[in-house]
Amino acid sequence: MAGKSLPKVNSIDRRFWQGAAEGKLLLQKCQKCAHRQFFPRPVCTRCFSTDLDWTPASGRGEVHSFTLVRVPRNPAFSEEVPICYADIILEEGVLMQSRIMEKDMEKVKIGTRVTVTFQDTDNPEIKLPVFEVAN
Amino acid sequence: MRRKKVCLVGYGSTEYSRKSEKPLLGFYSEAINRALEQTGLEKKDIQGFALTTQASPDNSPYVAEQLGLELDWVLNADYGGAGGVMGLRRAADAIEAGHVDVAVLVGGNTFDRSVIHQRVLEYQRSNYVDVFGYGGPNSLFALVQRRHMEAYGTGLEQIGKIAVSQRMNASMNPQALLRKPMNLEDYINSRMISDPIRLFDCVMPCSGAECVVVTSEERAKKITDKLVYLVTDAEKVNYQVGNMLPDKTTTGMKIVGDRLFSEVKRDQIDLFEIYDDYPIAVMIQIEDLGYCTKGEGGKFVDSHDMGFKGDFPVNTGGGQLSVGQAGLAGGYLHIVEALRQLRGEAGPRQVAKAERALVTGIGWLAYGRNLTCTGGLVMERRA
Repeated sequence: MAGKSLPKVNSIDRRFWQGAAEGKLLLQKCQKCAHRQFFPRPVCTRCFSTDLDWTPASGRGEVHSFTLVRVPRNPAFSEEVPICYADIILEEGVLMQSRIMEKDMEKVKIGTRVTVTFQDTDNPEIKLPVFEVAN
Repeated sequence: MRRKKVCLVGYGSTEYSRKSEKPLLGFYSEAINRALEQTGLEKKDIQGFALTTQASPDNSPYVAEQLGLELDWVLNADYGGAGGVMGLRRAADAIEAGHVDVAVLVGGNTFDRSVIHQRVLEYQRSNYVDVFGYGGPNSLFALVQRRHMEAYGTGLEQIGKIAVSQRMNASMNPQALLRKPMNLEDYINSRMISDPIRLFDCVMPCSGAECVVVTSEERAKKITDKLVYLVTDAEKVNYQVGNMLPDKTTTGMKIVGDRLFSEVKRDQIDLFEIYDDYPIAVMIQIEDLGYCTKGEGGKFVDSHDMGFKGDFPVNTGGGQLSVGQAGLAGGYLHIVEALRQLRGEAGPRQVAKAERALVTGIGWLAYGRNLTCTGGLVMERRA
């Protein structure tokens, strides 16, 4: 059986994944209009400039919505259900989807504060930006 | 925009089954043959051909080659569940421009494993969803539904009423695979898939195909005396895409609704075939189309009867939730049901006054928002 899904790093998002491996959550920032965006794309989704750079996010945010996945699309995740998959609004005003690593699901509600943490994977060069309930 | 001279003249539906291994092209051929039979058209009359697929090697010219179609116009309407409505718009454009006089549109699904269909879902953004163990569309709609429930106090009973009502409609539809009566308790107690999305929120994958034939008015008059016109149609793609804090509970159907209802009045619609991958998607579309304000969808379904005999008939054949989702036939199912109703061919589930129908299609879930594709159209029977 194939393992858990890993990103297929490409020329557009390589810097993002390098950042994650170094423990940094990076957003794209347009050098022309200052728009910040996630996920990484070849152009600014506001002004279409290709002059994009990377800016670190604080890694803090709050839960905007969440679901407890019982049937993951990739069966390799089945042993970990329920998986808390969430819309998280970062302090920078950007929505990002990720996983919340929390044993006690009662702690996760809309509005719950969360912070990023970087999870090891089978590939030593890849770490995943997941979230934990903030203290 | 108002269409003047484009007519829908026929349809073809295959039987549906849970997991047929009949080849996909066999399903397409059967649906097309039924439509040809109904219209009296022949293979040589097919000048334009559209299908909806999400898999290679189903490129539209190759499928047409397999079917032996020499064409003047071909399209892969790769808009997911919006493929029927958005493909039909393009076919109508080609007819109005005079490029073709007759176009056939088809969608379908099979579980035939002898042909390797490579799903083309590995676009870049999978790097930001798959890796977190998400559950596909069920999870993405779960995020939307939870947000709707939390922001507007929408109840499970209200969302479930849509599924229950469609099941009652399906009991009168022999094509539907799910005809067993279902009540709200069954809905609420069904197995949790991706909280709060339950099993009975989800469509059942199945095999089958749907086909629609569209022509010029002039040609239509030679084919049938049941003239059904495409009156108006609209689409919105990637609503709110540049907004990093999108409103997940509002879709591009809001824009589509504004455009459609600048041409016809909301109260002129007799029946609603609303793309139903999930009951919450139906509720949100009813809001976005302006039948109530945002967040009032729960109260709206409470105060209306969505059965085929009701004051607001929705998905009169049971929709995908009860018929089954034969893959991308799903985007054609609603058009075909509307046509049946407007032609007075819906048998025991016939809506008494069926002069004007609204059909929607939505497709491809969007990152952090809700949908990439939203389309809608109004069709009308004229004597």
